[in-house]
Amino acid sequence: MLNSQCLPIYALSLLPRNLRHTEAFRTMSSVTTRGADFEHLALPLFDSLYNHAFWLTRNQVEAEDLVQETFSKALRAFDTFQSGTNFKAWIFRILRNTFLTTRTGIAASRTVFLEDRPDALDTPAAGPTPEDTLIRLDNQAALHAALEQLQPSLREALLLCDVEEIKYKDIATILDVPIGTVMSRISRARRTLRQLLQPHLGESI
Amino acid sequence: MNPTPHTAQATEHLGPDKLSAFIDGELPSVEQLGIERHLTTCHACTLRVLSAVQLKAATARAGHRFAPPPDALARLTARLHSEHAQTKVKPQVETKKNARIYSIHPAIWAALAATIVLTISLLGWRQLHQTNTLAAELLDQHLATLSSGATPQVISTDRHTVKPWFQGRLPFSFNLPDATALPPDTTLKGADLTYLSGQPAALLLFTIHKHEVSVFLTQRATGPALTTLPGNRAGFTLQTATTPDLRIIAVSDVNPADLDLLVASMVHAQSPT
Repeated sequence: MLNSQCLPIYALSLLPRNLRHTEAFRTMSSVTTRGADFEHLALPLFDSLYNHAFWLTRNQVEAEDLVQETFSKALRAFDTFQSGTNFKAWIFRILRNTFLTTRTGIAASRTVFLEDRPDALDTPAAGPTPEDTLIRLDNQAALHAALEQLQPSLREALLLCDVEEIKYKDIATILDVPIGTVMSRISRARRTLRQLLQPHLGESI
Repeated sequence: MNPTPHTAQATEHLGPDKLSAFIDGELPSVEQLGIERHLTTCHACTLRVLSAVQLKAATARAGHRFAPPPDALARLTARLHSEHAQTKVKPQVETKKNARIYSIHPAIWAALAATIVLTISLLGWRQLHQTNTLAAELLDQHLATLSSGATPQVISTDRHTVKPWFQGRLPFSFNLPDATALPPDTTLKGADLTYLSGQPAALLLFTIHKHEVSVFLTQRATGPALTTLPGNRAGFTLQTATTPDLRIIAVSDVNPADLDLLVASMVHAQSPT
């Protein structure tokens, strides 16, 4: 029970001298290293987290607040992060959970989507058709518009996969859904995008 | 999935889910190889895969859309450093003072000894005082949940929703009793993440016979000491229990016997069986 962090100063002075030095040094250096480790892992993800936060909140101020809160929480909880596991998935999960506690997030989480019920899908499994030919997708505006129209839960899964290049199993952890749901959300998101882009077929979109 | 029109093909045509998982490299290697074999003979599927890969690449470009304001990173690092500094302040102060102690004239040790005695007495008084502060804090938080405008951060009667919600939010885990294991007319309403004496805590919101109940769960190792927490305060009952890992404190104006039952069911849910 010799924890120098918990002891008041007078009690610390009663410890053996060498122990006082090593304990204090260890405490300081571990705190410093921990903070440095965290920043080393987290700061490179700032742009990605902001981009994703903006897609979630659709608001610049809210997105920045959300990212700041995410970093704060992640720093405080960094001790619980298991090294060797996927840090990006870990911090994206914190971002998403933090988002769900915001006003916008609570409103979003109350919306029930049908896409997770396979029997509710209206699109039949399409075989190869002549319409599925190559689309030129260099018109960003058309794709932006299509992405905006996607259901948020589909868009979220698709962005984590295509933009953030996170594996299905990690997306499942972030979204707190089974991996099969991730697979069907991504697939459905792409089918919906394709449907939304259909009017642009044949032109250079 | 469409029936295979060409018998010579290695596998059937790709359904949308398979196609999606294939371009994401998420299929088991055997399946992945089977599809690759199929693609060598099926022009239509090859075209669809190519199209899907193009859409994926275009989505990646289009999805990378919102860049943070130029000074946002500076604001973030400033905040992180200030928060980080707060966690570092204690050890630094201790070390500085610690180093200074060695150079103090021996005559001052007597005064220091007196200070130690005084500090110990003060700590004893503070311990008593803390329990009252904690009781007030618990009651304040409970009263806050009663206001009509208060909405729990997670609203659900389902323990399978409420418990996972705390993952990543709390440095500990806990179990919730099944709805059938709760005492009669007791319902889980939702939960909040909160702090008690600066330590993260789960605040579970129940109703018993229309009385609101707040149940606070904290980690026993770091949680606030509450050996002498009063049994009631301002007409509200405070019921406490501990498990090997957790402290459970329930606050409500419901009949104390009913509150006991709820706390007992919470304790029971923590046992491994």
